[in-house]
Amino acid sequence: MSSSAAPAPVDSDIAARAENVTKVYGSGDTGVRALDGVTVALQRGRFTAIMGPSGSGKSTLMHCLAGLDTVTSGSVVVDDIELNELSDKKMTKLRRDRIGFVFQSYNLVPTLTARENITLPIDIAGKEPDQRWLDTVVNTLGIADRLDHRPSELSGGQQQRVACARALSSRPAIIFGDEPTGNLDSHSSGEVMHILRDSVDQLGQTVVIVTHDPAAASYADRVIFLADGRIVDEMSAPTAETVLDRMKTLAEIAEADAEHIRDDVPVGGPDRG
Amino acid sequence: MRRVSLRNLGAHKVRLILTVVSVVLGTAFIAGSFVFTDSLQHTFDKIFADSYKGVDVHVQSRSARGVGVPVSLVDGLKQVPGVRQVQVEAGGPLVVVNRSNKPLRTGGAPSVGGIWLPPDQSLGKVPTFESGGPPTGSGEAVINSGAAERAGLTTGSQAKVLAPSAGLINVTISGVYHTDTETGGYVGLLFPQDQALKLFTDGTHVDAVDLGAQPGVSETQLRDRVAAKLTPDLEAKTGTKIREETKTAVQKALSFVNYFLLAFGFIALIVGTFIIYNTFSMIVAQRVRELALLRAIGADRRQIRRSVLFEAGVIGLVGSVLGVLGGVGLAIALRAVLDAIGTGLPSGPLQIRPRTVIVGLIVGIGVTLISANAPSRRAAKTPPVAAMREEFAALGVSLTRRSVIGAVLGAIGVVAAVFGAVATDAGNAASLVALALLLVGAAVMLLSPVLSRVVINPLGRLVGAPFHAVGRLARTNAVRNPRRTAATAFALTLGLLLVAGVAVIGASAKKTINAAVDTGVTGDYMLTAVDNLPLPPVTLTAARKVDGIQDFVELESLETTIDGTNSAGVGVEGSLPAVAPLKILSGAHEATGTTMLASKRWAEGRNKHVGDKLTLAEPGGAKVQVTLGGIFEDTALFTNTWLVSGDVDQALTPVQRRFDFVALVKAKPDINLATLRSNLETATDPYYVVQVQDREQFKGQQATQINGLLGILYALLALAIVIAILGIINTLALSVVERRREIGMLRAVGMVRAQLRRTIYLESLLIAVFGAILGVVLGLCFGALFVHSLRTEGLDKIQIPFGQALVFLVVSAIVGVLAALWPAGRAARIRPLEVIAES
Repeated sequence: MSSSAAPAPVDSDIAARAENVTKVYGSGDTGVRALDGVTVALQRGRFTAIMGPSGSGKSTLMHCLAGLDTVTSGSVVVDDIELNELSDKKMTKLRRDRIGFVFQSYNLVPTLTARENITLPIDIAGKEPDQRWLDTVVNTLGIADRLDHRPSELSGGQQQRVACARALSSRPAIIFGDEPTGNLDSHSSGEVMHILRDSVDQLGQTVVIVTHDPAAASYADRVIFLADGRIVDEMSAPTAETVLDRMKTLAEIAEADAEHIRDDVPVGGPDRG
Repeated sequence: MRRVSLRNLGAHKVRLILTVVSVVLGTAFIAGSFVFTDSLQHTFDKIFADSYKGVDVHVQSRSARGVGVPVSLVDGLKQVPGVRQVQVEAGGPLVVVNRSNKPLRTGGAPSVGGIWLPPDQSLGKVPTFESGGPPTGSGEAVINSGAAERAGLTTGSQAKVLAPSAGLINVTISGVYHTDTETGGYVGLLFPQDQALKLFTDGTHVDAVDLGAQPGVSETQLRDRVAAKLTPDLEAKTGTKIREETKTAVQKALSFVNYFLLAFGFIALIVGTFIIYNTFSMIVAQRVRELALLRAIGADRRQIRRSVLFEAGVIGLVGSVLGVLGGVGLAIALRAVLDAIGTGLPSGPLQIRPRTVIVGLIVGIGVTLISANAPSRRAAKTPPVAAMREEFAALGVSLTRRSVIGAVLGAIGVVAAVFGAVATDAGNAASLVALALLLVGAAVMLLSPVLSRVVINPLGRLVGAPFHAVGRLARTNAVRNPRRTAATAFALTLGLLLVAGVAVIGASAKKTINAAVDTGVTGDYMLTAVDNLPLPPVTLTAARKVDGIQDFVELESLETTIDGTNSAGVGVEGSLPAVAPLKILSGAHEATGTTMLASKRWAEGRNKHVGDKLTLAEPGGAKVQVTLGGIFEDTALFTNTWLVSGDVDQALTPVQRRFDFVALVKAKPDINLATLRSNLETATDPYYVVQVQDREQFKGQQATQINGLLGILYALLALAIVIAILGIINTLALSVVERRREIGMLRAVGMVRAQLRRTIYLESLLIAVFGAILGVVLGLCFGALFVHSLRTEGLDKIQIPFGQALVFLVVSAIVGVLAALWPAGRAARIRPLEVIAES
């Protein structure tokens, strides 16, 4: 397959799209319906946050969109490529060439220097890194002087910035963040969210994060709320306060629902985020 | 705590299996060597007990080369009061010619002739006949069933038999007999007494006489009565004594085999200790949080330590029980293999002694506990607070202390090696080299974590360069935990150290022999017999007459006493300088008449000088006085020895005991060598066993023999390599488990499965090649040092087989990749999602 990250001509304002996606873990009586008919489109050059209580399916949705997990039914399209039909190898190459990741626990390779970690996806692909782009990224992220250090010699915030640089290094079509601020103090969290925000505003990057932190979500252009495997709400131009309010409301609705019916659908997928 | 230990063992089956297997292999080899040698011992004991059954007194020459007991004395012995029964013994080597006119090979088992004893003249059990019956007159013989089958002989067949002193005779097989304790390739022909004496003695003597006592007469009584009737060259022994002597001789011969096999068992176990150590280190490192939790809820250090040791004990117990069982299987397999290749070892019931089981269990459990000791101490030091920490760095222990000790040991070892290299006495030199090997080996073990960085980093850059990111990850992973890498690689280091050392010794031995033949032999052809049989004199008589021979020199090995001390030398019939020139340092150039030549080492060792008189004597028999006429420089062919003339040899050795081991032929200058060769072959062909070889062929045959020995050593050392491979598999499998999240991340950011597998192959290759480089370098150095220390023992050429060393490295690299197949497969199955799953 093509390894270039050039934008495709069709549907070019949508970076990733889920169409009526369901995801069931296990089968029969013990089956857990983590996603229940989710349809969502993520625009290019936008910053989207996916929120929801534990077990809402927000992490599962991100895994499915990022090609880390397969869907039970429905379709996922990333950068105009239908993921359902891809072999593991093609899926892996898609992740390598078109998707960037930022994980909660940084997940840097401890034996490699920061520089080597940043270029890892490019190195794995056997490509030459674009040095000017890399310089731009590391300067923007303020880690230019830490490049020869090992992860163990960096603070948590610095490690996560290296992880962000790694995600940006190959200029992916979309960057997924899985609770990127989950392990950080509020100061470092703010820094990392600023970096992601800047990458959208200045570099035109598409970013999607899963978070349960309203402060983090407030950096996004758009927040999607999930509950019980369904999209229940969304919000544009959020602030920490409006997000928090909405979360509370959703929690109340969920409680009310639980009193009603729902003996047949087990609540809570294996949300491990 | 005990329940925690057992649950842990159950939860990690793969780890358990690999660790158990390494214990099993070591103990199996130890138990197997005991079972094998015990069984052999038992069978040989039975054979000799059978052959001396019913014997109360045994009469024979005092000297092994003695002429025997005169037939005329046998009747006199029958008259000794208290004698119930008399049986005579006479026998010797012979060769049966099979139907395709080839000598019947025995693969090391005896091929002998003897006397057929009718039941009324026999003390023991008379063999039963499968067909036919006893030999009734001259020209008849009976043969054992196994040999009959292999030679294609049946009752009534005509057979050609070559008896060394009597030459080729025709016999009719009158019967085929069966014995219970028949050895693999054994050939046993029994002749009527008269013919046996003609074939194996001078016709007027028998080898020995066995007497059975009348009831009420004790062995010692009868022995004393018999002894009074004997001439001084004969001696009488009680049946008990002669049975004990043979049993001791067998034990002595087998103890070498036993120690030899045990050595490999211990090598395997030493290699195994590194694997066990590694396993427990990793188990402890992975369980830090769990151990800390146990500490937090109140387990004290001793309990933690004991729980780890208890796990080790269980693994040791399971491993050594399986190992002892496996040892029995190994002994059976070893016997089957030896039977199949026809080494002619006897078969009998397997002997599993309590000692075998006890030693196997103690060694297996002991080694496991010792290996787990250091990790258990480390586990006990886990602070309770580690339970709360996200990640606990257990690797912080500095390598400095370890490295300093290693460097000091290494320095002492190098000094020992230098002293060993300059020492002139072979015994001292070899001991110093062995000491140096121990010290340097220990030093390398201690230094190998540091060395792993020094070696693997440049090696990894070189090997990993074509693989870019994959190569870099493999390299950095290989040096990630130097202790672990070192312990994993050191198992291979030990194995390859021995393999490379053996290779140097083998190559040097070949080179030495080649050089010895090239410079020490000027003869054109060498006549020897197949299977290390003696050369029958008739064949030499025939060969001697061939036209075109300038010099014909026969060599016989001669073991006798010189001035009362046992000594081994060579009897020379003919002019040695013509076919094998010596460098004479002083005195005469040839051993003629009663002039003896001695090598410098022998003369110095005995403090003898030219002109000294020496007495060569057979116990109770012939005596010859010789003069030391000259001293020559030791060569590879004649080391620490002496030469006497054929006359002296003949004076000491009765004719029927006189066998040459080699004859050297020098052609007349004007003769066509090919013609001479074919004439020699034509002359010796009727005797089947003689081979005519030129120098190149002789060298080739020696090289083949050395290669055969090397092959056995390599096969046994393969065991250590197998265990080392298990260690690599074990380490990689555990590393993969430890790095699950990292591997998941690599998959998430786009590493395809093939790349991931390649990373682990390369990591394994680097660890294996690192271990192999250390082992091969050490092995080559110490092999060369060892050869050097034996230079005065005839091993005077050092040959370093660099080509072979390269092969060892390449094979290690391949082995490294093969060892990684399974762990890499496991790693490739890790899903990218696992990056998110908290461990």
